[in-house]
Amino acid sequence: MMLRASSAANDLTLDLDVVRGDLQDSDAIQHAPELAALVDASINDWESLPSARAALVEATDEATMLDAAAVVANFEMMTRIADGTGTSHPADRIESMSDMFDSMGLTEFVSARL
Amino acid sequence: MTQTPTSLVESTHHASDMSVRSDLTAAHAHVWEKLAAPGTWWNGSERLAVAEVVRTALDDPNPIPPWDSASNSGRLPNDSVISPELQDAVYRLAVHAGTLTEEWYQKMRDATGVTPQQWVEIIEVTISVASVLRFAQIAGIERPDFPEVLEGRPTGQPQPSKPAKHHWVPVVHLEDVTPELAPYYDGLTALAPVLRALSSVPAAMDTLATLGNAQYIPMREMIDLNWTRGTLSRRQIELVAGRLSAHRECFY
Repeated sequence: MMLRASSAANDLTLDLDVVRGDLQDSDAIQHAPELAALVDASINDWESLPSARAALVEATDEATMLDAAAVVANFEMMTRIADGTGTSHPADRIESMSDMFDSMGLTEFVSARL
Repeated sequence: MTQTPTSLVESTHHASDMSVRSDLTAAHAHVWEKLAAPGTWWNGSERLAVAEVVRTALDDPNPIPPWDSASNSGRLPNDSVISPELQDAVYRLAVHAGTLTEEWYQKMRDATGVTPQQWVEIIEVTISVASVLRFAQIAGIERPDFPEVLEGRPTGQPQPSKPAKHHWVPVVHLEDVTPELAPYYDGLTALAPVLRALSSVPAAMDTLATLGNAQYIPMREMIDLNWTRGTLSRRQIELVAGRLSAHRECFY
């Protein structure tokens, strides 16, 4: 996963629970709670989108919020490409990331094509 | 006067009081220009019919479960130019992609008669609509209407796609690069499976590259683990990407 790679490239240790769990401020990812709240609202709670958007703008700025919205849109695209075409990882990549898949519970997904 | 696809996107981005990046507006305008125009395997009317199912699915506050038929639920038009079976497949791709299996894919192809390349083009239409409409929703700007259908025949342009080890659909392997795929393949010794997934339809690769470059990271900058536009850091980008993918239960 690119999140782990981009953290390791900067000698930062990252708790990958940030991907699925509750978030606290961290040195590794600035404004992680506000970013996660925008993602969560976009999926689960459309009524809270305006407040999530406003909180991210207040913590960062408008351009950052717009770029975060664009990244969400991009992964609305990538998830449908991967799952619509049955894309799977090469075996060596699955092996190298198996600890992460297990700890995050990702192997329970229907889309886990192992 | 009828608005052009580009003006539909530009007018909504410009009407907001926010400064949407010009390259992002241009990327969304580019895929809107293609949305209801003749494609490779589907005509403009058929592509628009797919887009309408996607929009309905994305807007559905209480989506039907993946095992139910959307076309039987009264949510989709019963006079569509695409079959009810294909409407069902598109609806499920739009809202339940994480539940798709290879068995489902084979049964869907048997029921609808679509070729793998036609399915790839349906994915292309789906990602165009999902990208443009979801960005607008999350950013809090007005969504563009769909463009009008452009008459004409699909190009029917084949590619030397072959069965693939890491996909249900055939792909064009790097060693079989064609002039149409050269912009995405040239100079590369490897390409992540997900970035090859749509290669049997170069116009779909164009959509993926256009949107990915503007919404995420330019494809050739992907290896720079500190790349940034000056707003989000690479780690912030990947947090958003990973969290969204986890919500969608996308293992890849």
